[in-house]
Amino acid sequence: MALKELNFEFKAATPKTIKKEWAHLGVVGSGDMEVLLEKRRLNGAVKVKVVTPVTGFEKVWELVLAKVVKDNNLGDVYMEINDNNATPIVASMRLRQALAEASKPEREVEENA
Amino acid sequence: MLNWEKLQQLNFTDANARERAFGLVDKGSFTEFVSPRDKMSSPHLPVLGEAIEFDDGIVTGLGLLGSRPVFVISQEGKFIGGAIGEVGGAKMVKTIKLALQTYERVKKITPASYEKRLPAVIISFETGGVRLHEANAGLLAHAEVMDQIQDARGKIPIIAVIGSKVGCFGGMGFVAAATDIIVMSENGRLGLTGPEVIEQEMGKDEFDAANKALVFRTTGGKHKYIMQDCNFLVEDSVRAFRTQLKEIMNIPFPEIEKYRRIGSLQLVEEQLELVKSAVTIGPKDAQDMWKYYGNDNPQALADISPKEFLATVKRRERVI
Amino acid sequence: MEETMIGRGREAIEMIFDVDSVRENTIGAYQVEGEIGPGAVVGTARIEGQEVTFIANDAQAINPRFNVVYFGVIGLEEAYKMALTVYYTIEVDKDKPLEKKRPLVLIVDTPGNGPGKVEEIIGMNKATGSYQLALAEARKAGHPIIAMVIGRAISGAFLCHGLQADHILSLDKDFGTMIHVMPITSIARITKLDIERLEKLSEDNPVFAAGVDFFYRLGGVEEIVDKVENMKAAIKKHIAEVCQLKKNGRFDKLGPWGRGLLGEERGGRTSRKKVIQLMDTQYEAVIDKYISGMEH
Repeated sequence: MALKELNFEFKAATPKTIKKEWAHLGVVGSGDMEVLLEKRRLNGAVKVKVVTPVTGFEKVWELVLAKVVKDNNLGDVYMEINDNNATPIVASMRLRQALAEASKPEREVEENA
Repeated sequence: MLNWEKLQQLNFTDANARERAFGLVDKGSFTEFVSPRDKMSSPHLPVLGEAIEFDDGIVTGLGLLGSRPVFVISQEGKFIGGAIGEVGGAKMVKTIKLALQTYERVKKITPASYEKRLPAVIISFETGGVRLHEANAGLLAHAEVMDQIQDARGKIPIIAVIGSKVGCFGGMGFVAAATDIIVMSENGRLGLTGPEVIEQEMGKDEFDAANKALVFRTTGGKHKYIMQDCNFLVEDSVRAFRTQLKEIMNIPFPEIEKYRRIGSLQLVEEQLELVKSAVTIGPKDAQDMWKYYGNDNPQALADISPKEFLATVKRRERVI
Repeated sequence: MEETMIGRGREAIEMIFDVDSVRENTIGAYQVEGEIGPGAVVGTARIEGQEVTFIANDAQAINPRFNVVYFGVIGLEEAYKMALTVYYTIEVDKDKPLEKKRPLVLIVDTPGNGPGKVEEIIGMNKATGSYQLALAEARKAGHPIIAMVIGRAISGAFLCHGLQADHILSLDKDFGTMIHVMPITSIARITKLDIERLEKLSEDNPVFAAGVDFFYRLGGVEEIVDKVENMKAAIKKHIAEVCQLKKNGRFDKLGPWGRGLLGEERGGRTSRKKVIQLMDTQYEAVIDKYISGMEH
């Protein structure tokens, strides 16, 4: 079966965008995924695109992502995920790591890059 | 995440492609070309139901080692075994081409002292060769990489770095052989036909791919070092590889050609002699060659640390 | 279906070159050891009067020293023999001007590189790599190199014996010609897609399916030759074309890089160009910073 593309849109109560222009994390190994976050004007919304070979988990993705957006009060972010059968634990961890990466100040990035 | 100091301490085996690319060059000097943000993933995988990655499994870019601009290609074994498709292949080809372009540029700007800023190419291999989902495009890309390597001859050094989990096999095995200098760790593996494929084609009697020790002594860094098929053997850390690369940057360019194993009539003649000696020796195991070159207790060599190994090992003598 | 040429490398030599012009193992003053690498046939011959070096597979030969080398497999000895032949060719013509460099004709019918344990111990990757580097060097020195696929041109063996040529020609698929990395059955196993679906998909996208026509669409094959008796004329024609392009300094239109451009032109490889253009832009934006004398 071809890869499946899932698209979602969320809105947090008090949305705040990420510090960096963009942030990337993860490797698309088997059972893993990558996340790309980009600052984008979306009227406070978060748009997410998930590309995955796994079918039948649209609802779960939606719930997981909705929680991430809500808990972190994310807004004006475009998020893309390339998934390759990431387990729930891995998926949550990668999303958390990606957000941590995105919230680092831009300057520190240059120093460390 | 990519804290450069922390990257230095990573095991090279475990470091991912981006960590290697950033960590092998000077702190803060790496600029990635066609980064994940450019979303240049393979257009061929989605229809076949295979997951995609924004960098298509290859990190490319430019950094510095001292005053030298260093073009880096770093392959990601976790993504479809590091196999090469159309996008990743084009990234490899173009990176070497840009290094050559830079060579011309540097020569023009500072003709008298261009050696000081002579570009180099570092390829951190982690691949089984052609990506079967886009095999035809991947194969054609391999030929393009070889073509660029020949273009670079006598102009800029191309250095292979092999120490990642997947090793370096298939078509990329001869790309690595065609570089000027090869640096490996004990964990690095280099060959043409991967262990599983030998077993599949020739049977378990010829090669038991599940026998890890056998696999490592046939294609691993220590064997390649004894055979003179790799030039330097280093500890398994990003720092150790980086230190070795810095030392290589100090080799005067005319000397670089001496590190090659193939690429000239004389070198081919030398290799053909090696093949003839193999017919005489009839090695049943890689360690038969170790013995032949004067290592009386090969198993002991296999078990000791790289440092002790380097202090005691006897290697094939080079004719050239 | 036409009668296949698979396994008939030596016959192909007779078909392509002028009668009684073949001198096996001789390249100018150089002599290749006859014993070595029986799976490869090399030497000098004439094609309509023009002297060329030829390198072919002999799929009927069995290498008595390496038990994986028969059926046209390129083993350690074969690959180095092929590489030596190319270097001898370069040496013989080294003082000649570009347009006088003798062509190399590669006659391709090989199923693979030696896949055994001894091969890995000694380093099969070096052997095939050395042949490729030799061909690339000859091509860049001005020798026109034409590969003629008569049978099997499979994966790594095709990379080494074929894909470094200036132009690649292939007999039509009606001859049972095979160009691929893996047969579609293996691709089906890996992708878990059935063969019918894969075949349908390959109509729109030639990047994965096995076959001459797909390589043609990707620029991997310059021209498809429809009849055995037309091989000679086709090779001769391409030698002349390549020679002219080299005289005009158009090396960029030849060899692997030229095949990239051809693949683009034929609509088969379109991402390649996008990647290259993007890298150009990103490189130009930063390169001065790296070479302007900034020390680190």
